[in-house]
This record gives sequence, C-alpha cells and structure tokens, in this order.
Amino acid sequence: MNADIELRDVYKVYRKGRIEIPVLEGLNLQITEGEFVAMMGPSGSGKSTLLHLMGGLDVPTAGSVRIGDARLETMNEQELTAWRSRHVGFIFQLYHLVPVLTAAENVELPLLLFHMSASERKERVATALEVVGLADRMDHRPNQLSGGQEQRVAIARAIVTDPDVILADEPTGDLDAKTSLEILNLLNLLNTEFGKTILMVTHDPKAAAHAKRVLHLNKGVLERDEMNGLFEATEASI
Amino acid sequence: MALPLSYNWRNLFVRKLSTGLTFLLVTVVVFVLAVLLSFSEGIRASLAATGSPRNIIVLKPGSTSESTSVLTPEETNRLVQTPGIAQDAHGRLMISHELCVQTSIPRRDAKGNLANVAVRGVDEVAFDLHEVVRIVEGRRFEPGTQEVVVGRAAQQRYANLALGDEIALGRLLNRRFRVVGVFEAGGSAMESEIWAPRTIVADAYNRHLSSSVVLRLEDAALAGPAMDYINGPAVNLESKTEVAYYKDLSSKTREIVILTTVLITIMGIGAVFAVANTMYAAVDSRRREIAMLRTIGFSKRSIMIAFVVESLLICGLACVVGLAASLSFHGQRQDYLSNATWTVLAYELKVTPRTVLTALALAMIVGVIGALAPALRAARTQVIEALRKA
Repeated sequence: MNADIELRDVYKVYRKGRIEIPVLEGLNLQITEGEFVAMMGPSGSGKSTLLHLMGGLDVPTAGSVRIGDARLETMNEQELTAWRSRHVGFIFQLYHLVPVLTAAENVELPLLLFHMSASERKERVATALEVVGLADRMDHRPNQLSGGQEQRVAIARAIVTDPDVILADEPTGDLDAKTSLEILNLLNLLNTEFGKTILMVTHDPKAAAHAKRVLHLNKGVLERDEMNGLFEATEASI
Repeated sequence: MALPLSYNWRNLFVRKLSTGLTFLLVTVVVFVLAVLLSFSEGIRASLAATGSPRNIIVLKPGSTSESTSVLTPEETNRLVQTPGIAQDAHGRLMISHELCVQTSIPRRDAKGNLANVAVRGVDEVAFDLHEVVRIVEGRRFEPGTQEVVVGRAAQQRYANLALGDEIALGRLLNRRFRVVGVFEAGGSAMESEIWAPRTIVADAYNRHLSSSVVLRLEDAALAGPAMDYINGPAVNLESKTEVAYYKDLSSKTREIVILTTVLITIMGIGAVFAVANTMYAAVDSRRREIAMLRTIGFSKRSIMIAFVVESLLICGLACVVGLAASLSFHGQRQDYLSNATWTVLAYELKVTPRTVLTALALAMIVGVIGALAPALRAARTQVIEALRKA
C-alpha cells in the first residue's frame, strides 16, 4: 500500500465542559512514504495530538487525514481499530509491554488479530526479535529486561505486522544516552533498510537529529519544517 | 480474536490476595450450595425410589399419608372390581392391605436416643407387589407368627435389629418379635421400615383396620382408569400412583430447596460484589495495558471478553474446588423425620449431576455478573488519556 500521508486544514479542538481548547489550528502537511520525520515543540504544541490523528487514535474536529488510500476522518471507531492493527505500528515512551507475557508473547500480540497459523506467528515473532537484536531474550519477561531491551521488544511488536507507518511517541524519553542512541539507530535501520515511514515525537534535539526531516510545532501550527543535513527550511504551510 | 488464555491465567496471580479471597468466597458458596442440594437430592432419590408406577395406593379421602388414613372393610370391599388389577402366579388379585403404625426404637449411636420407626403390617402378597423389596439376609416372616423383617437402613441405624434379635412391639410394648430377615428396597423409604404379619400387628396395636390398600396393575398405563374408578362414586376413596404419593411425601425437600435458594442468593450477591471488586482492581491497575491493546488493534469486545474470561477462570476453579470438597459428604447416611408420616426415614446425601450443573451455573452467573461492570469500564477506557497518564 502507498503510505503517503496528507493532512489538510486539520483542526482539533478539545472540550472541557463549556470551555473549548484548540490544539491544532488548520494544519497542512505532506509526508512521503519512506520518510523519517521528527516532530518537536513545547508541551501543548499539538505534536502528540498530531501523532494520534495520524495513528487513527483520534479524529480531527475539521479537515482531513489521509494515510495511503485511507481517509481516517470518515471512519468509525471499529473501522479505525481494524485499520490501526493492519497499517500502523506504535512505539511508546514507557514501552507498555504486558508484564505477565514473555518478550515473544508480547511481540505476538498484534498478530493475534490476523488469521495466521501459530507456526507462521512464531516465525514472524522470531524475525522481528532478530531484527531488534533480542533473539536470545524471547522467553524473558519484561521485568527480566533492561529499559533498552524493553523498548526493543516494543519496537519488535510495532514491526511484526509489517505496518506501513511506525509512530513513535518519545521512544527515548525514558532511556539513558547510550541506550537512546541504540534505539535511534534501530529506527534508522527500519527506515533505511526496511523502508518504513517513521514519525517520531521527541523533545530531544539529539534524537530529532536522526530523522531526515524535523517538524516544529507551536500552539497548534506548524512553525518550521526543515530537512536534516540539508538545513533547508521551508515555510510552514498553513 | 481474543487475547490468549495464558494472558488471563497469569494475570490471576498478579494480585494474589484479592484474587485468593474472591476464590475462597466463591468456593464456600459453591460448597454450601452443593451440600444443601445433596440433602434434598438424597431425600428425593430415597422417596422417588419407593414408588412403582404400576402400583396404586388407596387412602381415606382427605388424609395426607398412610399414618393418618383408616380404611374399613366396607370401604375397601369394592376395590376388587377395579379395572386392570394384576394377578399373581396363582391367579390371585394383587391387592395388599397394609397397616402402618409407629414404634420407638433406640438409635445405635452412643446416646441411644429413641427414634420413631414405621412398622408396616403386611400379608405375603406385599413382597410380590412391592417389587423393590428383596430379602437379603434370613427369610420372610411366617404369617401369623411374631416375626419381623427389617429394612437395611433401619437395621444400620437402630439397635437390636440384627438377625435373631428380639424387639418389643405393640401398644404396651409387651409383644416380643424376632428378627428373621433383612430386606433391601433400592435405597427407598421402605428400607427404614420394619415389616411384620398384618394380623399380628393389628392384634398387638389393637388396630384392626387397614391404613392403606396397594393395588398392582397389569400395566402403568391402566393407572388412569383405575384411579377414576376408585376416586369415583362406586368406591369413593382417594387413590394415587405410588410414585405421586411418595413425591408428595418429599415436600420437606421443597423447604430445603427454598432455604438453599434464599441462602445461596444472599451469598451469591456477596460473591458477585467480591468478584466485581477484584475485577475493578484488575482493570484499574491495567489501564495503560488496556490502552496499549486498544491502540494496537484489539476491539472493545476483545477487552471485555478478556476480563469476563478472567473472572470466569476464578469462579470456574472455585466451583471445581467447592464441588470436590462437597464430595466428602457424598454417600453419607442421614435421616430425617418426615412431617407427613412422623417416622424417621434414612437417606444418603447425593452430589448428583444436577447439583454439579447447578453449582457450575451459579459460579458462571456470579463470574459473569461480577465481571460485567468492570469489563465494561475496561472496554470504555479512554485510550489517549490512559496513554498520556503513563
């Protein structure tokens, strides 16, 4: 599937009682399949909301979100749930592994939503854990793994279904510098070797430096959109 | 697709105390239910085994049991004309006039308390007519002698009823009767009785009228016309099939069932709250996990099912343990004072398949109802909010 991402005039407003809180205000954005994009900005700038919209966890108040052929704003909750399971891999800051399951069982979870034989699932889990360098930790529970290893398992869980897009919310936010670098190198590998489109929310400029493109959000608008290495800033399209 | 069972199973051990207490409570509820039901099942089985659908029992209109019925010869004379009465090998009509009285006999236990035991005065024909009755030790009594045969259950529970023993019967307890035989009757109520020659019992108790008359029919299908005849103006007595008669006598089981229902409903409601409490705790402690599962594509339904399954695992296991514990009562002999006959009847506690199914149904109902609200809360977890709080 084509995994180009296009957001047009996206508004997102949260309501708390009678108070309306605008989070995204008419955002336009295009991301081409295979890009590694970092999203930066201060707290409340709307970067996590943007990630949730692109991951089908939320729908815009106005505007359209297209991922490949899917128009997310037209889908109901059930359709979005099914779409997420097939097209998006999620990586969270705190990994969110199930503590009572082994690394392999955690990675297998998304595959349970597919009609797939146990042997095929096992094969895919082994491959995913091999990609993240944890083939020898399959039977370990999360509490038997380091933070970096837990995040690797979470990455294996995100890629095991071979999704079009990987969404990472502060994937290095809870890790030390050395481990962060390992995780970022792994994301780079998934982008360059496996052609995955990656969108990463981060506060850390060093982490953002690993992306090919960096979006700077502020108060719900795209303030800057720059290409790493080329230092080519483009005017935000509003 | 649902989450794997291993996920549910291992999560049970995360909060051991809360899960353990809920497990214990459901186990106790199932145990109490099974034991109480085993009482009523035992009594019902004992009385149900007593009646034959081919036998019709005739009583005085308005009487509730043989002990309150008195029939005069004038009243019973016309019974010989009842349609469909079977004949024995000698061509005689199978009609048994029976006289029921009570006597006090000490129990075999250390205290030796007296119990009211039924003495049934019968003729030879009664042994052929009551097909479940089978002499297993000794022999039948000789007509016209002071001999008795005793039921197996009576012999086991009361003193001085061994073969060759003598017991005192009669209005003034002044007649010595020798035990010459022991009979079994398929675990039925008759096994709690003492049988003696009718004419001798009538003489000893100065009761020369029958309590009941039992007719053996050629076929159970003839019971309708036979009873119509007896209940009609020609005879004007009350008749029932033996099966119906003993079923009515088991009215005490209804009290046990009512008691069981009330008690188990109260305990069950308590168990539902315990399960709900445990499952709420489980849901609240796993909100991030639920949010993650929803994020990667598990539906609300899958999440709900996961928590209901977890609750059912607790209750299902508790049910197995509760039933296993109740089996220690299975087969124990008890007796109860029939409020219809005022005699003590022996019965065996029975954990029947029906009890097992009832207990299983109760455990499942407690599991499902207890888990429903927490599972709904889990399914309604606000994914983004739960992920943010992480």
